[in-house]
Amino acid sequence: MKMIFSFIVASLVLFPLLTASSQDPAAKEKPEKGVQAEKALTADEIVARANQASYYRGADGRAVVKMTISDSQGRERQRRFTILRRDTPPPEGSDTKESDAFTGEQKFYLYFTRPSDVNRMGFLVHKHLDRDDDRWLFLPALDLVKRIAATDKRTSFVGSDFYYEDVSGRRTTDDTHTLKETTQSYFVIENIPLNPKEVEFSKYVVWIHRETFLPVKTEYSDAEGRVLRTYQALGVETIGGYPTVTKSSMKDERTGSTTVMEYSGVKYDLGIPEEIFTERSLREPPRQWLN
Amino acid sequence: MNPRLNPSTYSIQHPRSVLVAMLGSTLLLAILAALPSVWAPARSVLSEVTVDTDPENMLSADEPVRVFHHDMKERFSLADMIVVGVVDEAHPAGVFNVLALTRIHRLATFAKTLRWPDPADETRTIGVVEVDLIAPSTVETVEQAGLGAVRFDWLMAEPPRNEAEALAVRARASRIPFLDGTLLSEDGKAIALYIPLTQKDLAHRVASELEAEIDRMGGTEEYHISGLPVAEDTFGVEMFKQMAISAPVAMLVIFMLMLLFFRKLPLIVPPMIVAMVSAISTMALLIVTGNTIHIMSSMIPIFIMPIAVLDAIHIISDFFERYGETRDRVATIRSVMRTLFAPMLFTTLTTAAGFASLALTPIPPVQTFGVFIAIGVMLAWFWTITFIPAAIVLIPDRYLASLAGAAPADSEVGRAGHGASVMGRLLSRVGTFTVERRGVVLGGALVVAIFLGLGITRITINDNPTRWFDPGHPIRVADRVLNAHFGGTYMGYLTFEAEAPSVAATLAAIVPEVSELGAAGASILQKARDLSPVVDDGTALVSRLAEWAAEQLDAADDESFDGWETASQLLDRKSELARAFQQPEVLRYLTRVQEYLLTIEGAGGERVVGKSSSVADVVKTVHRELFLADEAQYRVPDSAAAVAQVLITYQSSHRPQDLWHFVTPDYTSASVWVQLKSGDNQDMAIVTAGVDSYVAANPPPAALSAKWFGLTYINVVWQEKMVAGMLKAFLGSFLVVLAMMIALFRSFWWGILSMIPLTITVASIYGLIGWIGKDYDMPVAVLSSLSLGLAIDYAIHFLSRARSAVREHGSWAAAAPIVFGEPARAITRNAIVVGVGFLPLLLAPLRPYQTVGFFIALILIFAGVATVLILPALIGLLERWLFPAPTSKGASS
Repeated sequence: MKMIFSFIVASLVLFPLLTASSQDPAAKEKPEKGVQAEKALTADEIVARANQASYYRGADGRAVVKMTISDSQGRERQRRFTILRRDTPPPEGSDTKESDAFTGEQKFYLYFTRPSDVNRMGFLVHKHLDRDDDRWLFLPALDLVKRIAATDKRTSFVGSDFYYEDVSGRRTTDDTHTLKETTQSYFVIENIPLNPKEVEFSKYVVWIHRETFLPVKTEYSDAEGRVLRTYQALGVETIGGYPTVTKSSMKDERTGSTTVMEYSGVKYDLGIPEEIFTERSLREPPRQWLN
Repeated sequence: MNPRLNPSTYSIQHPRSVLVAMLGSTLLLAILAALPSVWAPARSVLSEVTVDTDPENMLSADEPVRVFHHDMKERFSLADMIVVGVVDEAHPAGVFNVLALTRIHRLATFAKTLRWPDPADETRTIGVVEVDLIAPSTVETVEQAGLGAVRFDWLMAEPPRNEAEALAVRARASRIPFLDGTLLSEDGKAIALYIPLTQKDLAHRVASELEAEIDRMGGTEEYHISGLPVAEDTFGVEMFKQMAISAPVAMLVIFMLMLLFFRKLPLIVPPMIVAMVSAISTMALLIVTGNTIHIMSSMIPIFIMPIAVLDAIHIISDFFERYGETRDRVATIRSVMRTLFAPMLFTTLTTAAGFASLALTPIPPVQTFGVFIAIGVMLAWFWTITFIPAAIVLIPDRYLASLAGAAPADSEVGRAGHGASVMGRLLSRVGTFTVERRGVVLGGALVVAIFLGLGITRITINDNPTRWFDPGHPIRVADRVLNAHFGGTYMGYLTFEAEAPSVAATLAAIVPEVSELGAAGASILQKARDLSPVVDDGTALVSRLAEWAAEQLDAADDESFDGWETASQLLDRKSELARAFQQPEVLRYLTRVQEYLLTIEGAGGERVVGKSSSVADVVKTVHRELFLADEAQYRVPDSAAAVAQVLITYQSSHRPQDLWHFVTPDYTSASVWVQLKSGDNQDMAIVTAGVDSYVAANPPPAALSAKWFGLTYINVVWQEKMVAGMLKAFLGSFLVVLAMMIALFRSFWWGILSMIPLTITVASIYGLIGWIGKDYDMPVAVLSSLSLGLAIDYAIHFLSRARSAVREHGSWAAAAPIVFGEPARAITRNAIVVGVGFLPLLLAPLRPYQTVGFFIALILIFAGVATVLILPALIGLLERWLFPAPTSKGASS
């Protein structure tokens, strides 16, 4: 399974933290293994592969997510939900799926189990590339399915420090990408938004692991260079052949709040049918796919 | 007094060493005080000048109300805020036009950049709390988005492109209760930005930056900057203006008065030196001892200077009355110092005692103020009895000769017949009148005292930091304009906290249900017993158990999974019940309290609370929008789960943290933002009393305790402490001074008598304050005890002279003309010098200084008049009791 919820996924190793390796001057000078092949990669290509590695592994996937939100005073709240994902198959005739290069439309279904007062709450997303996503929310206690209009994607994901866009994936065409540095383990990519008025940041820098193409750290900063938010992949496991982030965090430096997401029961390529991702499932949860 | 112990004796013999000692010690203190400010390494051993403009420090840092205030501010992530109100009176739509909104957008964007490195920790920044900024571009609306969709969106992400868009901003804001009356004015014409600060002492800096940006932007709309932090911080800046203006002017006024009385410069210079030396040394001592320059302590120099010259005036006028006879300066000064030593010591001690009594108040800055003035007064006394004789010895002969005839201009020996003795003639007539018509004097005094005393019952205890500024000050203008347009800019916070059940009660309640859960249930009960001794209350127990059960569920194998699933859900439901502020009936109760708040009336029958906001408003607003903006759905839904789901929907917005300003993440406590229309303590007190009685009459549906916090509330608490504390200080100093009077006159009745003019004066002044409707505020409160210590001086001088005169002349009728000669003139001169000496405080830009200056002057002049009118009449009336035995001296003369 690929971690839908990790904006970016982590490296195979837990701790080769970017700073350490990027400070190693030898790393910059000495060609490393595999560099011959990588040398050809442009920033856009790296970003495309990172996007694919983060959001499009397998044809579908499932995970149980434990989300812990800790505020600046250390007060914790937890949420638990199951997430199902299905990629819309590529147009007929194309073989991109096999080459892992497909990054098209997707559907997500989230089913909340905890805390008990939000038990059975559901969230359905149809992610589009050429227009705003469709989002529906089911509030069982009000017996209400509600469409949520997407004005922008920089809203909080269910009250956490992750934004909706961190979870669903930011379009690679929304930013210009520059490869600032290639360290022993990472590509360091600087991203500048094409439309700065739509986002709260002025730029973000991503450290992408050179082998897995999983982003292990992302720093969003404002025009004065102040870091606003920091994403980190805290744990990576290879599941079903795919390097998968199993633990990640997002810290909002302005509020001091941090959200950690832990993934369990990760599975890929389950063959989840498309009809699961409809409004009907919101009211009648598809149990067999959730447990 | 034994002359060998008299410091004056030494100074007459060694005048130069006294001069060196005085200047040397003052210079040393001044260097010690100033050094750390100009030379950093000295800071490790010496205290730097620290300025404290925070009125919160009127209470000590460990005062429960302050501790609670800070705990709650942290609990609800609240910051002190600057309010920027924007009005455009010229445009029919107010500020809802393209140009004004464009500039408001720019100002909000600018405000976000007002952050600076934290001097205490370079890795952090201080300034504006960007994420909590309330401005059209930074707040959200929840609204319909077509096709039954709901949308969270910035109210004004970009400046409007046309007038229709500008008006749409207003229409959208008016639908969000949290914004209507807070960001958007009730009349729909004005906007207010709320700019939260990491610390309130940045208010002045942030406000200045905003003003600069407003100037750069231009535009026809007006920007008014307000909010308690600005008022308080601006006060600090004005405080220095006070010290820079009033203190030098006071010096000048005293100089002019002395010049008027004595006419000769060389006579005036030594007392002025004593005044300056005393004021400088005391302020230096204040700094060296690590005390802060505060609203109160900044007035110390202006208090010390007039008091410091008093004793010197006595010495110099006495010296020249006698010098003409002997032409022996050393012998004359010795005899003058012998006569004056005791009265000067006593008047100094009583003055010092009056100020030192302020140490009995529970208000630290007032204590510092009182104690250091007492020290300054004692210092002034010491340099007066040492330096003044030394100066007289050091004055070159040729000067002294020219001064020989220069007795005080108002005395009969000096310049008689040139109209300069108007005061003398007037006083002598007064003397005759009080003796012959003592019934009229006493009856009149009684009537005046009763009439004014009745005013005391009319005193209203009230203060308001905004009113510390003149009515024309920009802060006052902003206050008027903003509170006319908006719900109110003075924030009080009402918190409700759910009282947690005991561990035992909780355990008893969950055991039956958990027991039925099989293996998982048994493990849970074991865990519950393990946790019981370590958790604080039942709520914590259930919450810990629920977390633990969830962990067990994560680790459960297929076999035990269902059991843990059921157990975990059960515990979750139990812990849900502890979340009081998700319960519909509790939220509805908050709504009723908020409705009640709006009905509270102030002293004048006007509405005190303009608006209030709570988590209930958030729930109702989102609920309405979820149901197609149907006004009937503006309500709290019927289950706790529905509330939780509405709130998680609300949190899927740009500002999820907004919720935590109203409720804690565990939903066990909530704060209601109460916007008051005035910062009057009186109004805040009315609101707190009203809520207390409302809660008593309408108990909450769950065990909730209601408490207040916020700066507006803290002001009320310190005011209450101050009123009680000042009464204690006044009574304390009254008793101390009375004891000193009894000791001085070695007679209980003489002691009582000496207190009478002063008591009548203080009662009358406070009565006057009641009659004219002046609020009893901080400066008025401190007046009582400090005026007591000052005004008793007249009684001391008058009565000691009266007593010796009666002994000499046999009867009061015979003695009165003597007492109404030189002694009465000295008293009058002193009342004028000290009283007028305080008047430069009227030039200070801030009201509290003006109040202190005006009333101190009034009290001193009043006390002087009361002394020369009432005391002689009373002596006449009580002559038989006051002079019981025929005095041998009097009989013989």
